[in-house]
Amino acid sequence: MAAQPKPFHLEQANYLEGGGLIGWLTTIDHKRIAVLYGISALFFMALGGTEAMLVRAQLIVPNNHFLSADFYNQMFTMHGLTMIFLVVMPLETGFFGNFLIPLQIGARDVAFPRLNALSFWIFLLGAISLNFGWIWGGLPNAGWFGYANLTERAYSPGLNIDYYDVGLLILGVSSVMSALNFFVTIVNMRAPGMTFMRMPMFIWALLVTVILLLLAFPAITVGLIFLFADRYFGSHFYEVIAGATPILWQHLFWIFGHPEVYIMALPAFGMISEILPVFSRKPLFGYPMMAYSIILIAFLSYGVWGHHMFATGMGPVADSAFAITSMLIAIPTGVKVFSWIATIWGGRLRFNTSMLFALGFILEFTIGGLSGVMHASAPVDLEQTDSYIVIAHFHYVLFGGVLMAVLAAFYFYFPKICGRFMNETLGKWHFWMTTIFFNATFFPMHFLGELGMPRRIYTYAGDLGWNFWNGFESISAFFLGFSFLLFFANVAWSWFNGERAGADPWDARTLEWSIPSPPSEYNFVAVPTVHSRDAFWVEKYGDVEASGLGEKKINVELLPLPRPEEVASIHIPAPSLYPLIIAGGVFLGGLGMLIGWYRLVFLGLGLLALGAISMAFEYKEWGQDNPHQVGESFLGLDNRKLGLWSFIGSECVFFASLISTYMVYKSRSIGVPDAQILNIPLTSFSTFILLMSSLLMVLALAGFQRNDRFWGTFWLFGTAAFGLIFLGGQVYEFGSFYHEGMLYNSNLFSQCFYTLVGFHGFHVFIGVVWLLTMAVAGLRGKIGSSRALSIEVCGLYWHFVDIVWVVIFTLIYLMRTINRA
Amino acid sequence: MSDHAIDHGHGAHAHGAHAIAEDHHPGPAVYLLVAVVLIILTAMEIGVFYAPFLQAWLVPMLIVLAILKFILVAGFYMHLKYDSSVFTTLFAFPLLLAMMICGSLMLLFLYLKHHPG
Repeated sequence: MAAQPKPFHLEQANYLEGGGLIGWLTTIDHKRIAVLYGISALFFMALGGTEAMLVRAQLIVPNNHFLSADFYNQMFTMHGLTMIFLVVMPLETGFFGNFLIPLQIGARDVAFPRLNALSFWIFLLGAISLNFGWIWGGLPNAGWFGYANLTERAYSPGLNIDYYDVGLLILGVSSVMSALNFFVTIVNMRAPGMTFMRMPMFIWALLVTVILLLLAFPAITVGLIFLFADRYFGSHFYEVIAGATPILWQHLFWIFGHPEVYIMALPAFGMISEILPVFSRKPLFGYPMMAYSIILIAFLSYGVWGHHMFATGMGPVADSAFAITSMLIAIPTGVKVFSWIATIWGGRLRFNTSMLFALGFILEFTIGGLSGVMHASAPVDLEQTDSYIVIAHFHYVLFGGVLMAVLAAFYFYFPKICGRFMNETLGKWHFWMTTIFFNATFFPMHFLGELGMPRRIYTYAGDLGWNFWNGFESISAFFLGFSFLLFFANVAWSWFNGERAGADPWDARTLEWSIPSPPSEYNFVAVPTVHSRDAFWVEKYGDVEASGLGEKKINVELLPLPRPEEVASIHIPAPSLYPLIIAGGVFLGGLGMLIGWYRLVFLGLGLLALGAISMAFEYKEWGQDNPHQVGESFLGLDNRKLGLWSFIGSECVFFASLISTYMVYKSRSIGVPDAQILNIPLTSFSTFILLMSSLLMVLALAGFQRNDRFWGTFWLFGTAAFGLIFLGGQVYEFGSFYHEGMLYNSNLFSQCFYTLVGFHGFHVFIGVVWLLTMAVAGLRGKIGSSRALSIEVCGLYWHFVDIVWVVIFTLIYLMRTINRA
Repeated sequence: MSDHAIDHGHGAHAHGAHAIAEDHHPGPAVYLLVAVVLIILTAMEIGVFYAPFLQAWLVPMLIVLAILKFILVAGFYMHLKYDSSVFTTLFAFPLLLAMMICGSLMLLFLYLKHHPG
């Protein structure tokens, strides 16, 4: 590490420079995409905050009619949706996740840079879909959880719920794509030597968060598809009159909804675990337990969804089970709180704004966590549910906890992101005003809840004893809103005028601080090799436990400039416009469906197909969007294969939600048709065809692996042909059912059957398109043994579709007689 | 550099130590054999479905046969038997979760059906 007295940081081109507007629209650099997420999320933070101010203005005095009742419903609904889906999630995973994951693990970008850009544009257009009601038709107005059957067309005839439905579906696609991308990046693109137990805690938190995202979103996706079918195709997934139950929505929603709480909380835990050690000059206390507790929290989070539904009457056994798991989750969470306290205990603390917010997080989150334990008890919850105590609880968790952590991270990472410090004076005003007025706004809500004030109430009579605290909370909320104006002003001013920051302004511990601020486009001149946890700290001071007060072994400000030939040899994938085109297609298609303008739907689908095919063949040489070579991966596995297996995992939950709905509703279906209509001989033949298509698929793979392009291509066409025969059988089956009078919305059986089998058929269709694309590439000589992996990835998808059919054929067709029992 | 926490400039060499270990797949003969077994299992499923004297055992027999088909396709055609265990984990954990969700929902709704109030 020979040092040269030649500072290099800001003089060097950084990722923010160059390209103009086109450069930003076509960027696939994870840092630029992070900034785009950040700007969008801050805009929506201002919007969501304004919605909260309007809600509090309505509640400031009794018998108030400042807002109409319907607009009030829209405001509290949109406040929740905005803060969760358009502020907290995009800030944590989209902004900080995108910016920090490659930097903290020593990578040059994420695993799939163009997919990353596509995720952002789909997020942005999903956010616009959710907010389209500002200009046409009214905003969503049934609460962020959109409980059925309030959301059915009969009770919500306007476009409000359609925006909710389509907006969340689009945002879900974006989240799953980001999750898949980050999962592969963290698992497979870590720098050499960065084992799991050497990863920064934020990376641990993100890794577990994206697993939660992959496995939680499919459940609500299915719920939203049912809602869409009810509203557009006349089905009755949530209507009692058809034998269905609205409780199904609650299950599907909360199977997603409670992991969602941890999707928001875990990254916050990770951020705090990065900030406290730096400003305490001590390593994170109990690193292994912190990592294990994150895993345990995530695992338990799938078994606690019922605590949101105690009041629905699930029965004493289910109530007890959900109460126990909900209480258990407090244990690993408590471990984290004690570890944070032990980290700062005896440390040499620096009380700058970031540290103040981090300390504030510990206090406020603990308060929110304690009231959460109360709600885990079914009898207590029954008394408190739907009261203002619940509002107080989740704001202590999500605002006092999660948002405080995000703000701490903002002040901490701002110098790395733009090369300048945020203003400390303004920051401290922001911290103290936020802390004081946050508590003044939300703590009295515990009292109001105990006094019986229900949540989502439009206005209230003046003789209920609620007047003082409501007025007090509203005035406090306005001051709280003002504190965020200080924050926005600070961000805007500091971005252009803040004091310049060096590469390592906080004397920090992890890899991202070893490179210039802001970083160059390629992040690292040479991919680092890591030998310990807190690698950069050890590099500077020799020991992870070092106080940081001694002389540094290296000074990153004085590292030599990279040689031009070093920089020239770095492979950075080229920008692409296609992610934006694909996202535009998704948006236009969704919008066309909403407003019933089907030409727009076809235009959207056309753009989508054009963008997808063009992107697939954008590079003459495949893999040029890969920021590293396969042989350089951490696990020695191909990113695409890992990505596809992650996607298959997510699909398991998607089909499980569809299948369980079919199984639950089959016996509830009223009248005919029922499962006796199913044609076993025809589907037995279809099953045979699909199984044999899998044989042809592996024969194709074997052909390409031995560089036999003729037979490889031949079997690929054969697989696609068998897929088309299967689809033809399905079309014939559906057509014959239709002629026998079984319409989509005839009864619960028909709608569940068509939805489940239809979605499987849609997967087969996608597979056939993929196979034909590969076959054409094979014909043109673009696939040889070196690219056989592309065929294998396509084959994995095809085989998965096959085994889903194995399950459907058994449960839906061959077990049809169970319906008679 | 071994006493340093980070080595700059040696990354590519270190990466090279990780070999790609995912191309030990079986040949066409094994694939054909699996296909024959799959056909036999499917024929057995249909036979079980139509055989009147097996109706009492219909559900367990069909489930066992479906599991066997599932394992054959996943193990041989999707190469889980030959590939890195990472992929098996990536498949098995969500599958387990999916089955738990299915089971839980069916039990919860069974209770609701018998206690509609």
